[in-house]
Formats: sequence, structure tokens, C-alpha cells
Amino acid sequence: MSLAEKISDLDTFLTYSVVLEEEAADRHDELADMMEVHNNPEVAATFRKLAHYSRLHAREIRDRSSGRSLRVIAPWDFEWEGMEGPETGDISDVNYLMSTGHALKIAMGNEQRAHDFYFEISKGSPDPAVRALAAEFAEEEKEHLELLEKWLEKHPESDEDMRWDPDPAHMPE
Amino acid sequence: MDQAAQQIALTPKDFKSALKPVWCPGCGDFAVLNAITKALAFMGLPREEVALISGIGCSSRIAAYTSVYGFHGVHGRALALASGLKAARGDLTVLVAGGDGDGLSIGGNHFIHACRRNMDMTYIIMDNEVYGMTKGQASPTTAPDWADSKLTPHGTGIRPFQPAGLALTAGASFIARGFTGDPNGLAKILVAAIGHKGFSFVQALSPCPTFRPEQMLWKHHVKAFDQEISSNPVEAAQRIQADDGMSTGIIYQNERPVFRPGTGVDNGMGSIESEFTI
Ligand SMILES: Cc1ncc(C[n+]2csc(CCOP(=O)(O)OP(=O)(O)O)c2C)c(N)n1
Ligand code: SF4
Repeated sequence: MSLAEKISDLDTFLTYSVVLEEEAADRHDELADMMEVHNNPEVAATFRKLAHYSRLHAREIRDRSSGRSLRVIAPWDFEWEGMEGPETGDISDVNYLMSTGHALKIAMGNEQRAHDFYFEISKGSPDPAVRALAAEFAEEEKEHLELLEKWLEKHPESDEDMRWDPDPAHMPE
Repeated sequence: MDQAAQQIALTPKDFKSALKPVWCPGCGDFAVLNAITKALAFMGLPREEVALISGIGCSSRIAAYTSVYGFHGVHGRALALASGLKAARGDLTVLVAGGDGDGLSIGGNHFIHACRRNMDMTYIIMDNEVYGMTKGQASPTTAPDWADSKLTPHGTGIRPFQPAGLALTAGASFIARGFTGDPNGLAKILVAAIGHKGFSFVQALSPCPTFRPEQMLWKHHVKAFDQEISSNPVEAAQRIQADDGMSTGIIYQNERPVFRPGTGVDNGMGSIESEFTI
């Protein structure tokens, strides 16, 4: 049975959605912190902004869930396709000398996976109310993706332009 | 999902301190921190009833990044400190964390005796097969042909330890391996390890992108063990030997008597304080 088929009621769907967005916000903040600590203020600001947007989205979903009883699911019992939620960027994808363009590409990958997650549910859930809400969320993720594409146009620089550190951590002779 | 009903008000974030980790962006240690905080939040443990003891190394900084009691100790002595703490405060949930250098080189002797003693604590080795903090020297888990350090330009030529095998031989009663690329899976293992009565050992494969960038490929090699937890040491040993060191899951669990020094003696704060009364 696919995950979309298993998400057969609104409470479960909203639980997945809230966790997806909140974990995405937390990860963006975590990545922003890493960049701040490693003196990459531009990328730090980008991740911080992305965290802000994820948090807004999470709050919106929490508001829509008010009065409902969200499920309590252990982190490892979520049946995400990957190891973490679809919008949670992979910690191992970042580097202290990364560019804003790279950060935005990571964010686009996250939004694309979130879109695909909601889209699958909009097609496969047995509950029509879940399908309708998932279609709405999928549409929103698509809009985020378009916004990120525009944002990325302003950042043609690549990581290669950033890869210079006069005092790198690793200096094998 | 039934177990999840235990969840309480504290979130994983509540188990983090206000300090921002200084680990290199991309370091696997971030995921160990996330797994620990998720496990503690899930278990609903009050922060004041948990202590995280560490040694020295990048990974050992972890004690400062949680909001539970912590002690960032002496290189290789995290288990000695933790044993003392557990002896004095048996009521605390004691977690110990550090690197493969901290736990298997300078702290190797403490490691085997902690396994043997079987005190009730959880030890996490954040294994990146290198000394990260001192800029990339070979550790006891480094492959013999790793030649990227100027100290060992032709590799160490020495067979590495198998931490799980070592723990089994020395008497650990719970042995597991997790991977930072799967922080939720690691959190699940930690919940079982912390819940285990006795010495639980968790090897967390935690890549060091700075000195071992090739470890970023681990995510393509790590897989789950395809067997159930064994309570038979011979079976567990065979399983560890047959594996390439990249399989994750709980390998071995077998309850045996837990060493509780001072059992029957009043170890409460009152008696300790009375010794200082003039
Ligand atoms: C008594 C003593 N000897 C040596 C050192 C130097 N030293 C600091 S950290 C470290 C090894 C760290 O490696 P590991 O434990 O694997 O942790 P990582 O930094 O890789 O997380 C060494 C040798 C020290 N601090 N104290
Ligand atoms: S040197 Fe390696 S182990 Fe240390 S913080 Fe950096 S990536 Fe992590």
C-alpha cells in the first residue's frame, strides 16, 4: 500500500504536513546557524529567510488544524520516502564556502520533493477532503518553486567562486 | 505508533542549548545531536534527570549543545567520569559521547572495562575514522591504506578495530550501529539503548566532510541489517564479522547483571553533604 493510500484521514494528513514544514524550518535555521558560525553571512541570511517562509507555512497549517486532534507519531514511524521529511534539506549537502545559488538550489530540491509528496497524496488518498487539501498544498509548493527560480536568477555565482579560503581547515602538504 | 503516546510537552529543540555548534557545516555530528534530542524528547525524560558526559574532540563538544546536565571532560576519560557519576547518582540517565579517537585510542582501556562492568549507561561513539579536532590523523578505526595524513603518508598499515566486535568481546549487553544520514533511525536506536538496563553501546557512523570527504559517499553504502536482534553472543559475533561495518540496526541485546557500586548504601546527596559538615 502506498503512503498516499495510507493517509486516509485529515488528521493524519495534517500531522504529516505540520511535521514536514516544521522540520524544514528547523533545518533551514540549523543551516543558517552553521553559516553564521563559519562567517558566510550571505548564505546564512538566505537560509534564515527560507526558515522564515517554512515557519509561516507551518503556522498556516497549524491554524488550519486547530480544533482537530493531530496524531502523535514517533519521528521514525513517518513513512517518508527518504530518511527525513521531503522538505528537510540534507545536512551533508552544505559546505562553509557555499554560494547563495547553491543554497537556493538545495531549497528548490526541497520544494520539489514537498510538491511531489502533496501531489501523490492529492491523487492517491482514499479521502476526498485529504485529496483536495493536498492538491492545494501541492499548488502552493509549486508557487514557492517558481519564486525560488526567480530568486536564483539573481544569483548566477557558483560554489567555485566561493572556494577560496586563505586559512582552510584542511591543508595536507 | 503506540509507544508514541508517551510523547510529552518537551520538543527536541528544548533539549538543545542556546550555543550554536562550531562543527563544520555538513559534519555528521549535527545529526547525532538531532538524534539524541529527538530520542530524549520522545522518551519524555526531564532534562534535570539526564546527564551527557563527553571527552575531547569535535564530537565531544556535543555535551555543550544540549540542555541536559553536561560535563565536557578529559580526553579519553568520558567513561571514567560517567561511571563515577552513575555510581554517585544512580537515578540519573547517563549518556556518554565522543569520537573514535577519544573512545578507542586514549580511552580504549576505559571502553573495554565499561563494557565489562555493565553499568547502566549509554555510550555513543561518533565514528568518523579520523581525529577531526587535531586536523586529520588516523584513528583506531581508520582503514590501513588511508594515506591522506602527513603522519601516515603510506597509511597506517594496521588493521582497524571493529568497535561492535570489541564491545561484544568485552561484555557490553547492548550493541548497535546507526548512521547520521538516517537521524530518525539513529534516534530510534538511541531510545532502545537508553531504555536498556546495562551498558549500551551505539556506534554512530558520522562522516567528517573536512578530513574524510570521501565519507560523504557513505550514504550510498549504508544499509540495514537484515536480521533480528540477537541475544546470542556467538551469533552476534558472526554477524559482526560477516558485515562490512556499514550495516545499521541493533546487533545484540542480552540482559545481564548491572554493576551498581554502593547498592544498599545511602548514596543520596544528604550523606555526601554531611561529609563536608565541619
Ligand atoms: C591527553 C590528550 N592527548 C591528546 C589530545 C589531543 N587531542 C584532542 S582531540 C584528539 C582526538 C580527537 O579525535 P576523535 O576522538 O576521533 O574526535 P573527533 O574530533 O574526530 O570528533 C586528540 C588526540 C588531548 N586533547 N589531550
Ligand atoms: S573536522 Fe570533521 S569531525 Fe570535526 S567538526 Fe569538522 S567535519 Fe566534524
